[in-house]
Amino acid sequence: MHEDIILQHEIEQWLYKESELLDQLNFDGWYELLSEEISYTMPLRINQMEKSKPDYSEATLLFDDDSTTLKLRIDRMKTDMAWAELPPSRTRRNVSNVKIKEVSENEVAVHSNLLLYRSRSTDTTADLISGERKDVLRKENGDWKLVSRWFLADQTSLGTRNLAIFV
Amino acid sequence: MTTTSTKQVPRLDEMTRSELIQYLKDTVKPEEGLIPSYIFSHPKVYELEMEKIFLKDWLFVAHKSEIPNIGDFVTREMGGQSVIVTHGADGEIHVLLNVCTHRGMKLCRMDNGNQKNFTCPYHGFNFKNTGDLIGIPFQKVVYGETMDKSKMGLKEIRHDVYADLIFATLNSEAVSLEEFLGDIKWYLDLAFNRAEMEVVGLPQKWNVDGTWKLGSDNTISDSYHTLVSHGSIAKLGLVPTGDYSKYGYQIYTGNGHGLNLGMPNPDGFAFPESLIDEYKERLNEDQYDILKQMKNMIVCVSPNIMILISSMDLKGQKISHTSLRIWKPTGPDSMEISSWMLVEKNATEEWKRLSEQAFTLTFGASGIFEQDDTENFTDITQNSKSPYHLQENIVFNYTMGMHQEPVEDFVGPGIVYKDKFNEANSRAFFRNWLDQITAE
Repeated sequence: MHEDIILQHEIEQWLYKESELLDQLNFDGWYELLSEEISYTMPLRINQMEKSKPDYSEATLLFDDDSTTLKLRIDRMKTDMAWAELPPSRTRRNVSNVKIKEVSENEVAVHSNLLLYRSRSTDTTADLISGERKDVLRKENGDWKLVSRWFLADQTSLGTRNLAIFV
Repeated sequence: MTTTSTKQVPRLDEMTRSELIQYLKDTVKPEEGLIPSYIFSHPKVYELEMEKIFLKDWLFVAHKSEIPNIGDFVTREMGGQSVIVTHGADGEIHVLLNVCTHRGMKLCRMDNGNQKNFTCPYHGFNFKNTGDLIGIPFQKVVYGETMDKSKMGLKEIRHDVYADLIFATLNSEAVSLEEFLGDIKWYLDLAFNRAEMEVVGLPQKWNVDGTWKLGSDNTISDSYHTLVSHGSIAKLGLVPTGDYSKYGYQIYTGNGHGLNLGMPNPDGFAFPESLIDEYKERLNEDQYDILKQMKNMIVCVSPNIMILISSMDLKGQKISHTSLRIWKPTGPDSMEISSWMLVEKNATEEWKRLSEQAFTLTFGASGIFEQDDTENFTDITQNSKSPYHLQENIVFNYTMGMHQEPVEDFVGPGIVYKDKFNEANSRAFFRNWLDQITAE
């Protein structure tokens, strides 16, 4: 039990740290948290009647990234022409309901909720991206690294002008 | 102390319909390259657009590959109206008004699926996927012999198919789809008839506080913005630097349809080599010759479709991707973008996978190309809402390329300009738009 609490604390702190780096636009710092083998995907939420079927499609991915393409996205932010985030949005990532689902020797599978607030330009209306994350973290050389992120938004039609931000 | 001014802000909302139409004719001057700001957000202009364009034109609703089996359906919106596109039990495609004929409830609230019947959530009227009404709860008790079910089927919307694209129109008097599309078909062949194409998954959707027209305007003529709006992509080395986006042709084929064709492709053939036989079989010689040289192609089918073939270098491989999106108006100053990705059905799994990844990286909601466009669409639209723009009749400059003459030696149909840095297609688009919304 004691070990469970320590692990829960460690993983939660990792997720908060990750949010802080993204909210502070420290993308290089964020990239350091990723495993080279990262799979970073966002399937499409759909309206489905039958509860037996998943209400999302993994055939359509809104993010379909690995370490190479995530690096491209980050390098793009450093050009002075990445207009979608120039000037940058203010973002606030609220991570909650952190549930450790599986623990193996050096990996944990963790589910959490994300409520991402985005304030863009002079907009007075808030963009909210709400959804569930399914992550896998792996201990690499003593540090937790993100091996897999799967994010499913709650909206079928996103109420934000683009996904120029990370989820 | 008060400041007085004799300047009046034109009150479009107080004008009669014919005064408004006259005002539009007086202020929108496409041939002079003068497009006034107010048209990008004024509610009265939007009312005209909905009535005279979106209730009149042929609109894209689905690709045939989305409903391959009997019973398959997708729900879509056209002209502010939800429709169900079905592969009916009779083997035919149906486009059905998603409104129960009894009391108006939205019949189907799913994005897609496979069903024989649709049952209304309100009172349980039951319709076949062909639209026929087949069941009414307690019919004998509540209607006796007075209800004729054969007259109560779902309203079938007129539709037709070209290049596996299912179009529908809310206008029973519209010209045929064939005539509406005209010569743009030659180019649609390159996008959707070059091989058997299939939609990957479902369309992704997101919302932008910008007018739908800026999407079409950008699609039909604007290769010039690539240098700056998408400058970051060249800086990353994904596309060449400098004026690469200039090379090729700008083509207008009538009825508000046109394209920018980027060629030649310095990287060589951007499509799967394994499908060359299929391409040659399905395209004519001239079309195949264009495909061989294509770097990219951006097609606008009026009013609000964008079709894109784009090629790039990703992970040391040259790869192309094909997509279709619609700029769906959701208000005078807002739209929902829906984006479909398509791929050659007979390509290798490896090629499909890389094409999908290239598409998602560069286009769609998170695309590093596409995301920068939404800034332009939003801020132009929001600027245009100021009454000052009406008071001063602020107009934007669409005169680029007015000194150019079309060329005669291009193999495809249309009015063709050499090089893509030109606003001729926008002038033609807004002429067509103006004629439509000012039609009596």
